Amino acid sequence: MSNRRTFLSQAAASLGLLYVTGITPELFAQAHEHAKAAPRNLDGQPFRFFTPQQAADYEAFAGQVFPTDDTPGAKEANVVRFVDFALSEIEPQNKENFANALKALGEQAKRTNPEAKSFAALASAHQIEAMKALEKTDEFGTLRFYTIVGFLGDPADGGNKDQIGWKLIGFKDDFYYAPPFGYYDERLMKEQKEKA
Amino acid sequence: MSAASPQRKYKLTDQVDFLIIGCGASGSVLARELSRNGFSVVALEQGPWLDRKQFSHDEYRVAAQSLLTNNPQKQPTTFRKTPNDKAKKQSAFVYGRMVGGGTVHFTANFWRFHEIDFIEASKKGTIARTGLADWPITYTDLEPYYTKAEWDLGVSGQAGVSPFDPPRSKPYPLPPMPVKSSGVIFEQAARKLGYHPFPAPMALISQSYQGRLPCAHCGFCAGFGCEMGAESSPLPTMVPQAVATGRCEIRPHSYVRKIELDSKGRAVGAVYFDESGKQSLQHAKAVIVSCNGAETPRLLLMSKSNQFPSGLANSSGLVGKYLMFNTFPITGGLFEHQLNEYKSIEVTRILQDFYELDAQKVGFYGGGGMDARFVWTPIQFAAFGISPHVPQWGSEYKQALQKYFTRTMYLTGHGTSLPLETNSITLDETVKDEWGLPAICVTYKDHPDDLANQRFLVARSMEILETAKVLDRRSFPVEEQNYGFHLLGTCRMGNDPKSSVINAERRSHDVPNLFLCDGSSLVTSGGGQPTETIQALAFRASDRITALAKKGEI
Repeated sequence: MSNRRTFLSQAAASLGLLYVTGITPELFAQAHEHAKAAPRNLDGQPFRFFTPQQAADYEAFAGQVFPTDDTPGAKEANVVRFVDFALSEIEPQNKENFANALKALGEQAKRTNPEAKSFAALASAHQIEAMKALEKTDEFGTLRFYTIVGFLGDPADGGNKDQIGWKLIGFKDDFYYAPPFGYYDERLMKEQKEKA
Repeated sequence: MSAASPQRKYKLTDQVDFLIIGCGASGSVLARELSRNGFSVVALEQGPWLDRKQFSHDEYRVAAQSLLTNNPQKQPTTFRKTPNDKAKKQSAFVYGRMVGGGTVHFTANFWRFHEIDFIEASKKGTIARTGLADWPITYTDLEPYYTKAEWDLGVSGQAGVSPFDPPRSKPYPLPPMPVKSSGVIFEQAARKLGYHPFPAPMALISQSYQGRLPCAHCGFCAGFGCEMGAESSPLPTMVPQAVATGRCEIRPHSYVRKIELDSKGRAVGAVYFDESGKQSLQHAKAVIVSCNGAETPRLLLMSKSNQFPSGLANSSGLVGKYLMFNTFPITGGLFEHQLNEYKSIEVTRILQDFYELDAQKVGFYGGGGMDARFVWTPIQFAAFGISPHVPQWGSEYKQALQKYFTRTMYLTGHGTSLPLETNSITLDETVKDEWGLPAICVTYKDHPDDLANQRFLVARSMEILETAKVLDRRSFPVEEQNYGFHLLGTCRMGNDPKSSVINAERRSHDVPNLFLCDGSSLVTSGGGQPTETIQALAFRASDRITALAKKGEI
């Protein structure tokens, strides 16, 4: 498991720091037992849940929730691959619900532009218009929620590729930290040291 | 089965001294104490027996597959606000469904109740149309067991710094956890306003303790199992210690459907489904039900018979009644610098200045504590936690997540719920679970005073955030609850068999060898954190039940 090796070597590099902050080698070793499962790479595999049209529509939707702009978005994070995997393996009972939500998205696309063949075929401005019209519905909520999970979930489930989502928001899934954790407790520590 | 095996095994026909139903926060304490006291024990648990090595940080899988909790797809529930409404199928509560119970994946706030909690009705007066009543025991009766819980499980905290801390016979066994940025911000602002914040007492270990390694600050307490075994749930403590006596068998995947009686009205054991769906009857000399405030009354109601046509031990008609959820008013805000609240434990500072409010002054019954926290994992935060003042999708949403995730903290109030007879657990025969048993129907509507108390706590929280120079603050709406995290009060204890289900010894008034021990026995809700009280009651129950058994009085 290459991920585990990477984790161990990174951890070893910071051993010096650990002694300073009081984490014992014993504790450190125990934290290591939980190096995460390797990321799941689903690139290039056939879809198990999506039809090609559904995949295109959903990818367009997810790309509007997390657009690719200054930073990578849903497309780069493999959100569509995650949803295909999740609905096939983890929550098959939600397949119908998700398919209905995509259907509602397609119907809204037609209302926004009667010429459009699908949501994916709409111009970006029209996609946004269609999504705004649906924003308060359960169908929109379902599609948005899965997009968030695919963008910010554990890479072991096939989304959040290269931790794109986590890097964006500033989250790390390490198995140990030592104080200070943030700006305000660090400032307090410094003040207390100066006083002492 | 867990790595903790091998363990003593009993046959179904062995009449063990005690059959414990539910091996969670209370059941596992009883299992350890009674087996240590020399009794033979079988503990049945409907959920799995997981080892810390099986836990993960995969928030989607843990939640989507209900790995640690009741599964609403297999165990549906229905909900209505009042007994006159038609119940709708919806998820109505969450509880820990595994050996160790909800304490395996709770926030780990571990507060004692205060002296007033046990004697409110006589001190403050009863309240019309509520069941506010004194407990049959006082804080003094329970104090030694609070201390025992703190020392036997391993609790980190600092005694003697809060002027509101009730009297205690011993300090905490472990020093408090390092303060996080949320704790620093909260403490400094609250002090400016004249309040008394102090280090949060937490059921986890800040240093090595009794062979366990300390917390590594990974940040995944609430909602997750602790991979380090540092959270002081029964899993690294009571459970292996019970097994080590050689007198206790813990039987996971055992879903009890009925407690059986003999012709004299004494419990003889319980019928349960094993993992393959096969039904078995485990025999025992006495039965202790520790399922939780929802499943304990359900099991009693399902155990009706000719002797008890309205449910076992229900001559009072009160089984399932006086359900209390507590309340959780939330506010939060954005700060200039990074807090990185995703690291380490959820809570490092609390205050209890509002624990015992003067109803004459504030105009409502109630009170509670408050903590500074961040319990949002990345998915939850992006889906539900970000300020409604920003767009919820698109480039601006992305930028907001980038800005808010590491700079946000919340204040959570922990408020009282008044005991109301109409708030209840009943059986809904129109909906069945995967085993064909009737679903639980929850009837719940917060008392107006519980809502007023939440609005009060929200207002105080907003003042604290303002004083802390928050950049963008918000409060979640105060609404009537339709979902329970704390399940309290459905088989209340008392001295009068007409107005309670069990007595102070935990013995049911109707069946001499049937005991109940979990959150269901709480008479009042307390100011927001019931777990330590539930476990202290379990330690006390173990002593009381042992004494009865030794005298031959069961």
